[in-house]
Amino acid sequence: MRLMTSTLAGLALTALALPAAAQHLDGLSAADLLPQAQAEGSVTVYSFTSRIGRVEEAFEAAYPGIDMIGYDLSSTEQITRLKAEAAAGQTVADVIYVSDTPVVTTELLESGLLSPYVPPRVAELVPAQFTSPLLAQRLSTKVLMYNEETYPDGAPVDSLWDLTRPEWAGKVVMVDPLQRGDYLDLMTEIVLRAEEMATAYEAEFGAPIELDSGLRSAGEQFIADLFANDLVLVGSTDDVNAAIGTLGQEAAPIGFTSYSDRRDNAEEGWALQVANDVAPANGIVFPAVLALTAAPQNPAAARLAIDFLMGDDSDTGGAGFAPFYVAGDWATRTDITPHQDAIPLDQFNGWQIDAVKSAEIRAEVADLILTLQ
Amino acid sequence: MILPKRLGLTLVVLVPLILLVAAPLLSILGQTLGSAAWSDVLVSRLSRNLTWEPLGNTMILGLGTAIGSLLIGGFFAWLVVMTDVPLARTLGVLATLPFMIPSFATALAWSSLFRNSRTGGSTGMLAGLGFDSPDWLAWGLLPTLFVLIAQYYALVFTVVAAALASLNGDAVEAAEMSGAPRRRILLGIVLPMVTPALLAGASLAFAAAVSNFAAPALMGLPVRMQTLSTRLFGMIEIGQAERGYVLAILLILVSAALLGVGNRLLVGRRSFATISGKGARRHRMKLGRARWPLCCTAMAICFVTTLGPILLLVAASLAPQGSALFSDWTLQFWTGAADPDFARGQAGIFRNPQIVKALVITLGLGVAVAVAAVILGVLAALVLTGPRIRVLTETVNQLSFLPMLLPGIAFGAAFIVLYGAGFGPVPGLYGTPLLLGLALTAASLPFAVQTGRATVAQIAGDIDEAARMTGASFPRRLVAITLPLASRGLIAGALLVFVNVVGDLAIVALLYTPDTPVLSVLSYRYASDGFQQFANAITVVILAISVAATALAQLLKGRRP
Repeated sequence: MRLMTSTLAGLALTALALPAAAQHLDGLSAADLLPQAQAEGSVTVYSFTSRIGRVEEAFEAAYPGIDMIGYDLSSTEQITRLKAEAAAGQTVADVIYVSDTPVVTTELLESGLLSPYVPPRVAELVPAQFTSPLLAQRLSTKVLMYNEETYPDGAPVDSLWDLTRPEWAGKVVMVDPLQRGDYLDLMTEIVLRAEEMATAYEAEFGAPIELDSGLRSAGEQFIADLFANDLVLVGSTDDVNAAIGTLGQEAAPIGFTSYSDRRDNAEEGWALQVANDVAPANGIVFPAVLALTAAPQNPAAARLAIDFLMGDDSDTGGAGFAPFYVAGDWATRTDITPHQDAIPLDQFNGWQIDAVKSAEIRAEVADLILTLQ
Repeated sequence: MILPKRLGLTLVVLVPLILLVAAPLLSILGQTLGSAAWSDVLVSRLSRNLTWEPLGNTMILGLGTAIGSLLIGGFFAWLVVMTDVPLARTLGVLATLPFMIPSFATALAWSSLFRNSRTGGSTGMLAGLGFDSPDWLAWGLLPTLFVLIAQYYALVFTVVAAALASLNGDAVEAAEMSGAPRRRILLGIVLPMVTPALLAGASLAFAAAVSNFAAPALMGLPVRMQTLSTRLFGMIEIGQAERGYVLAILLILVSAALLGVGNRLLVGRRSFATISGKGARRHRMKLGRARWPLCCTAMAICFVTTLGPILLLVAASLAPQGSALFSDWTLQFWTGAADPDFARGQAGIFRNPQIVKALVITLGLGVAVAVAAVILGVLAALVLTGPRIRVLTETVNQLSFLPMLLPGIAFGAAFIVLYGAGFGPVPGLYGTPLLLGLALTAASLPFAVQTGRATVAQIAGDIDEAARMTGASFPRRLVAITLPLASRGLIAGALLVFVNVVGDLAIVALLYTPDTPVLSVLSYRYASDGFQQFANAITVVILAISVAATALAQLLKGRRP
């Protein structure tokens, strides 16, 4: 009972403290935030990537006197931890840097554990689709990749539907979508894009698609056919990369993984290449987002940290963005020059996911996959 | 009104068990109440793939691992403790190690032999020799079972060896003098006397196997074999935590039922007291001509289950390419300075400013939790081996066993909710090392209780009785009689707890703070950004610590008269 009271008290305090002060801070520039941020003295960030360590150094160099405290936590751990903290009335994090947006928007944003923040400076530089419901800092991928040593003439497939053909039976590799959220997002997007999938089917096989009983769209049919074609599931993207990318394979499989992992080709002995000319798309492009917790203890420093993580006005985003300026990931800021070693976002053939729409049918898609396994 | 004997002690043990285990369990249970997850899991079109088939696989793996571990671990314990096998001490250390080796390394060892082309990439040694392993040998139940047994026979060995070492030599000697054949001595005398230890070891192996995630995920997924642990992890990971928690509760119920049966079998038997006031020192069974063949067999098993995986793990921390573990070895991942052309500018682990602090904190946490868990474990063991009190004794038994079966992430979250904020005069513990320590103590209890119980069950009541008649108080008898006599079991238990703590990630991830870095978090941190070699290097450090702890435990045992 006591526990519940303190939780309620915590929530009530949060609600009271928010409006006036927070809105005031939201409109301030970095320079105006600085004095209060320095008075606060520190800012705590939950980050799903260890690269936050490099951001810490850069941030503390840029703003001496403000200690950035970074926690490395997977998106799932962040979500679990934030919910538990809320129940205990203990907020530790000021800022979260997280992927898995379909879960984050439903479990955290809608239940009031997060609040969005867009630094005024970048509001005009980031397209609207990336500022709502939460501010996206950069975009990553789960897309079809192949082995360019085995297939030197380019991707061996030109449609997702190729993957359901007999010649690819047992030769398509991906992480189990019921083990990793980003792969479930990929499957979900395929269902959301059912019409495009139907068109691509007809283009590939010359006849309109016929659905098996119990399946409601071309997207669902594709997933069913893919699993029926002896799809090989593994536990992590590194396993996918090794499966399809390893040099010296005569008939390497094909599979879904991160485009940015291509930058490890030389070091790991891989020959990963993206299959970009694939109908209707080669996979998904999804955001890593930045947000404030509901009642940050260091509200000004928190906003300053998000401002910093969005990069400065130089071509590559400067020190705050440097750890994330890699080939195969894209900044959401339109004024940051795309990495020279990768296809620019506007020429990339991936679907950009919509976290809210995705969240609506994600559980259904998971159930469908569950029946297919 | 006459109070049942040992009621006080039982209550003393129950209070921390309720706070540390029952409360988090209820908190997790509470989150599933009223959720559709129960019907989804139990009675829906999804149940077969979500629940029953994974449950079937889980039970096959659990029971198979328990039996396999009993055979191999029991064989080792007998060989090392009871016979004049050559190199007994070396074998004793080697047989303890597999538990400390992370599952993925053992799985890697299996794959490097039997891997076929199903997951592309590079294939195993057999394929290199022109023999492509069939899928059933490369993936799925059989290889998963082998990997689990290869790791967890060490649990049975540790528990049973401790029990055998504390055994009174009288009975064996009498039988030998009267000319009983060796087989009869083993089956008729030794085996019954260590029944509690066999059961404890098998229970631990069972629980470790059914909760293991890495082995079934690595060996099972390519042929779509799922277990409750892979399902549970996946459900939490894709944002359907309630379903995951229901699966965990189901796993606890099924395991509790099995454990209950095991106990019923035990309780049906009489006393197992074999450590009595005085007794002949055990002398070792002569193996004769079988000495070297048995030693070689044991060494071969050790090589496959210990040295192989360790070698691969070390290689994986030295080789730049995961697909060519034995080429181009470099110490860059260990000691290298930051070089923009190497590993994206990541410096070696020994240059990580947090490594020393993480080492100290990991060690401190390991030792503190081991001490706390063993104290609680020995008290629980006294309750479990003493006169039984309706309901209460069984509650102690089950509560002290189930933490291994709870998902670590949910366990950690429950600790934040329950003890993070503080209540009344109790301060909030969130963000303090104490909360981390408490959660890890709870999670490690099964090791402490099961090992404690195996040895305490052997201590004859007559010594305790004699001391009581001379007026010694309970605490005094505990310190002067029970603890020394059970010391081998306690050291073994402390060791298992320590190893469990230094390797834990799931609970730690939810409760650590940057002020209290631990090695497993550092390792995760590297792995999460694809710096696999660095993560492996940290894992080697964790392994080295565990091995050092084992060696220390051996020394401690050796000093005992």
